[in-house]
Amino acid sequence: MSGADLLALLPLILISISPVAVMLAIAFFRGRGLAAALALLGLFISFVSLPFAASYAPRSVTPLLVIDNYALFYMGLVFAATFAVALLSDGYLRMLRVRSEEFYVLLLLAAAGSAVLVASAHFASFFLGLETLSVSLYALLSYPVTREKAIEAGVKYLVLAAISSAFLLFGMALVYALSGTMEFSGIAAWAAAGIKYSNPVFLGALALIAVGFGFKLAVAPFHMWTPDVYEGAPAPVSAFVATVSKGAVFALFLRYFARVDIHTMGSLALALTVISIASMFAGNLLALLQNNVKRILAYSSIAHLGYLIVAFLASGALRVTAVSFYLVAYFITMLGAFGVVTVLSGPDGDAEDIEGYRGLAARRPVIAGVFSLMLFSLAGIPLTAGFVGKFYIIAAGAGSALWLLISILVINSAIGIYYYVRVIITMYSPAPVEAEEAALPPKSTEPAGPAAPEQAASAAGAIIPIGGGLVLAVLAIGLIWLGVYPSPLLSLIRKTIQSLM
Amino acid sequence: MMPPIPANPAPVNPLRMDMIPMNYALIVAWVLFVIGVIGVLARRNLLFILMSVEIMLNASGLAFVVAGSRWGQPDGQIMFIFILAMAAAEVSVGLALVLLAYHRFGGLDADAANRMKG
Repeated sequence: MSGADLLALLPLILISISPVAVMLAIAFFRGRGLAAALALLGLFISFVSLPFAASYAPRSVTPLLVIDNYALFYMGLVFAATFAVALLSDGYLRMLRVRSEEFYVLLLLAAAGSAVLVASAHFASFFLGLETLSVSLYALLSYPVTREKAIEAGVKYLVLAAISSAFLLFGMALVYALSGTMEFSGIAAWAAAGIKYSNPVFLGALALIAVGFGFKLAVAPFHMWTPDVYEGAPAPVSAFVATVSKGAVFALFLRYFARVDIHTMGSLALALTVISIASMFAGNLLALLQNNVKRILAYSSIAHLGYLIVAFLASGALRVTAVSFYLVAYFITMLGAFGVVTVLSGPDGDAEDIEGYRGLAARRPVIAGVFSLMLFSLAGIPLTAGFVGKFYIIAAGAGSALWLLISILVINSAIGIYYYVRVIITMYSPAPVEAEEAALPPKSTEPAGPAAPEQAASAAGAIIPIGGGLVLAVLAIGLIWLGVYPSPLLSLIRKTIQSLM
Repeated sequence: MMPPIPANPAPVNPLRMDMIPMNYALIVAWVLFVIGVIGVLARRNLLFILMSVEIMLNASGLAFVVAGSRWGQPDGQIMFIFILAMAAAEVSVGLALVLLAYHRFGGLDADAANRMKG
């Protein structure tokens, strides 16, 4: 390994050093401020080192990792999203009154796992990155150990993620037994050489891998865990699971299939079409039935992965651009939406009941405005990033004449508007009488009643934590900016995907 | 020492490992994997579910070792070591969670953890 290899690996090295540094620091000086500051610093330095590493790209560093502009772009996305989650969770953890230093160690480990994942070129690095991410997530999901729901979310995620890892590994082992290589490029060459996509054993192995991927991406019919885990997890961790963990897996998925025309694979394209349609309908229709904001966002994220697969099934260069842009828009929007839930949450529970949002616009107009913006973007209303993302997905699909998928996407966007607007209308409708009483400044002698924790929490914590407020402001500005003027990001994305083509 | 294998009248199988054909070993791995899946689906006790997952992971490990042996590469065994390390990390976090769940839900029944509908 030469010096240039090490310099190309710099972002990965820095993000791997960060959790160790935080762990050592809190072993000597326990304190939430120090841990948070070190974590933010580590993420920032790793992010800053990306352009530096880009001057050495593209380069494959050992057979395990490939550092190209595509990997660096997604690493940047992972680091930025983790930075936002770390800032958001600062106020949240302070409010929870739990020992929170280890939270940052786990968060950095998860970010390191995701960064390895997007740069992996070999089954071994893929597996290691994925497991670093998953094992940190088990602990993050159950971090508030006094909450029953958080423990339940952790246990559910543990069991299902472990099963999906086992499926993935067994599929990998079968592919290795057939092809004799574990490098993605080698497998692609081997599969293309003999048209192995009709070999039943190979197809079985691909199906096992697809089950593993399906669980991690939470697409139908492997989506059952998502609402429970998102509801039970602390809100900033839900944001992390919804964005970083899914985005990194999807980025890898896209890298592997970017050079292959997926329609030469017959049954695989058919399976992805079915998964996409099922995800869109399952996500949107089940979201209609929910009264819990976190569950609505969970089902909405299932539907959005369905939209992403539509673009994935298209062919041509526009496909990768569309998926990358949509992922960025999705990251911003989901972080913003869960960020709003985070800053509204109180120590008794997260602000998740939709009734708790009634009259929010009158009490906290700025927060309600930001949340409306995020929901508009999820619905794909113009002037938001979500609209431009959806536009590119439809353009990519239309270029490949995927009329069935596009019409289903349009139908589902219409269904989606109903439940997004329902939340917005709830926020802007007048508050019921009890909530207005609770909205009065609470007397210091009288603790908030347990009957209305959401109203009390969102009213009592009228001051937004600085970190959370900053993140929400930046995300809202970014959302509008990408919705009005997307070309800088698009040209950046076009530059990053050249190494894939 | 292994007992001598009777001469095989068929031509030498290209998938043949040293003594045992690869497909036989893969079938064992498949059987183990299916046992694990059935265990996960049928058991209601969290500890047994975790044990069944371990069986599934070890089935994958066996398949990797078999595949590595077919190609004469050490890669399969390296993957097996990775799998062992990952399984250990997972079980340590998993058992901590199971302990918490035991205190919270008063038992290890997976069906008791149903505070959320979904």
